[in-house]
Amino acid sequence: MSNQFSHERIIQLRKKRSAADRRFKTYGLIATLTGMAILFFLLFTIFSKGYSSFQKTVIELDVMFDQETLKITPNATYKEQVEAKFFKVKKNAIANALPDLSKKDIKLMNKMFSINVDKEIKEYFLQNPNILNTTQKLLVTAHSDVDQMLKGNAKRNIEEKKRKLNDRQLEFFDEFVFTGRLKSKFNNFFFTNADSRHPELAGIAGSFVGSLFTLITVFLLAFPIGIGASIYLEEFAPKNKFTELIEVNIANLAAVPSIVFGLLGLGILLNVFGLPRSTPLVGGTVLALMTLPTIIIACRASLKAVPPSIKEGALAMGATKMQAVFHHQVPLALPGTLTGTIIGLAQALGETAPLIMIGMIAFIPKIPTGFTEPSAALPVQIYLWVESAERGFQEKTAAAIMMILIFLFLMNAIAVFLRSRFERKW
Amino acid sequence: MSNIKVSTKNVNVHYGTKQALHQVTLDINEKEVTALIGPSGCGKSTFLRCINRMNDLIDICKVDGSITVDNEEIISDEVDVVSLRSKIGMVFQKPNPFPKSIFDNVAYGPTIHGIVDTKSDLQEIVHSSLKRAGLLKEVKDRLHEPGTSLSGGQQQRLCIARAIAVNPDIILMDEPCSALDPIATATIEELIDELKNKYTIVIVTHSMQQAARVSQRTGFFHLGELVETGETQKIFTNPDNEKTQGYITGRFG
Repeated sequence: MSNQFSHERIIQLRKKRSAADRRFKTYGLIATLTGMAILFFLLFTIFSKGYSSFQKTVIELDVMFDQETLKITPNATYKEQVEAKFFKVKKNAIANALPDLSKKDIKLMNKMFSINVDKEIKEYFLQNPNILNTTQKLLVTAHSDVDQMLKGNAKRNIEEKKRKLNDRQLEFFDEFVFTGRLKSKFNNFFFTNADSRHPELAGIAGSFVGSLFTLITVFLLAFPIGIGASIYLEEFAPKNKFTELIEVNIANLAAVPSIVFGLLGLGILLNVFGLPRSTPLVGGTVLALMTLPTIIIACRASLKAVPPSIKEGALAMGATKMQAVFHHQVPLALPGTLTGTIIGLAQALGETAPLIMIGMIAFIPKIPTGFTEPSAALPVQIYLWVESAERGFQEKTAAAIMMILIFLFLMNAIAVFLRSRFERKW
Repeated sequence: MSNIKVSTKNVNVHYGTKQALHQVTLDINEKEVTALIGPSGCGKSTFLRCINRMNDLIDICKVDGSITVDNEEIISDEVDVVSLRSKIGMVFQKPNPFPKSIFDNVAYGPTIHGIVDTKSDLQEIVHSSLKRAGLLKEVKDRLHEPGTSLSGGQQQRLCIARAIAVNPDIILMDEPCSALDPIATATIEELIDELKNKYTIVIVTHSMQQAARVSQRTGFFHLGELVETGETQKIFTNPDNEKTQGYITGRFG
């Protein structure tokens, strides 16, 4: 026999081999931990910056609803009530927010309240019309500058010029804090309002609904077309040069920068077809084009992964090709396809560039109610807020990122749920 | 003398440029078991798959020559393969139940061909098919469990039940026992013996003992040619051809 190696030699080498094993395991562990650390740092930064945006600052104000100022009578109709002079009531209330305010002081004081205060007073009155001629303690929204000062986001130990609140306003601020009239409340505006120029009123609802409409458009367009194309290419298309060309180009399309799809939308959907700009319909169509290759690639891969024995079994039973495909291949490929679709939708959710191209970057202070209404989208909203100069928008940006992450998380949860529901073993 | 059910004349099969079958001429008798034996890669499975045109699925595969089933030519573009396959059932080497319930597996054929009108008819067919495949006793309380939860031998009998549920004339079996243990194999062999009273069976097998046990006629393939065909007893005791002699005595293959 020519096998000359000894068993000891194998044992010696074995030690080296297990050392390599251990080393590799360590590298893997380090890589995983580093990744997790970075991720946690990122999440921590976002959450620690953004959580304060779920709270708003309110100021307790004594509001006198006297009928002379409001210019209404106790038996006024609803219409008369709606048209009553609430701005005057507000003016009086603010002028008397602290005792002995000069005209200049009142002006400064007025800037510490949100412009939404008239509306809040009006809503309160319309809900309780019997408070006419009484004085009520109302919690009204403070201006973003007051809000930021209370949250500690704005510095106060800097020169007056660099501050949003001047020295006199800071005195008012301290007086409010001292008398306990400055309070923190859950910021319902953030969840119910659309965008606004005023940070204390700006909310995520408009862009959230816009993103939802956009994603529904993407799903309705890309899912059926993607599955149809995959089934055709995988099961029915003749294997020739032309099919090959299509296949190569689908892979290429998946790598096309998203802004190019945006330009396509601008050039064709808006300019040629004249669809309304800034709308979820156009945004969704553009993003559907972008998502299509992802869905097709995922769906074809799942179709390929179905064991051929299943299809052969069906065909040998005398099933037509379509029956074999739709009874067996498609249901088995569905979980993988759904996963691919959700990945595609997640990509579409985070995409900004193509939406900017088709005008979804416009400032829309209104929650959209349909697919053809101008609307914002979450990523564009983040972009708009991060660009805004007011300090109040900083925490909004972080909070909007949190919302988009939660949206993504929910989508992935749905994907996992659907996967486990449809998954079948063979 | 039995009737001839399937008759092939000068069948050639090419995979691209490679010829897999050379001038195969073979008659298969009705209600008999015909075994096809031979070493791996000799073309016996390819031949089997010509009979129900399953070779159509392979793009590069080309079949020429003549095959008649009930005196009707099937190697022609005008033949409707879907109806042909409803007449010819097939059982594969590896059990391939659909990832559906046991009931749905057997009900699949009758459902796609639309031959049942009522639910009770369908139930009747499923029960009788499972019974004929010798599986009913074992599964009658779990018809709605997935077919894949059965053991390998049971899965293969489920596939047989699935094949006979559309009441075919011919059943093609492509090494149906090669993935099974001896006990499951014995069960399937008994089943084949019983089924031949009703169906014409063509079975490809690696096991010469199996061919000897279950078949009435045997064809021996070697390198794409049908070397010898005849009564099973004769092939195994007194073959005419030297190569057959060599193969059955284990000298090659």
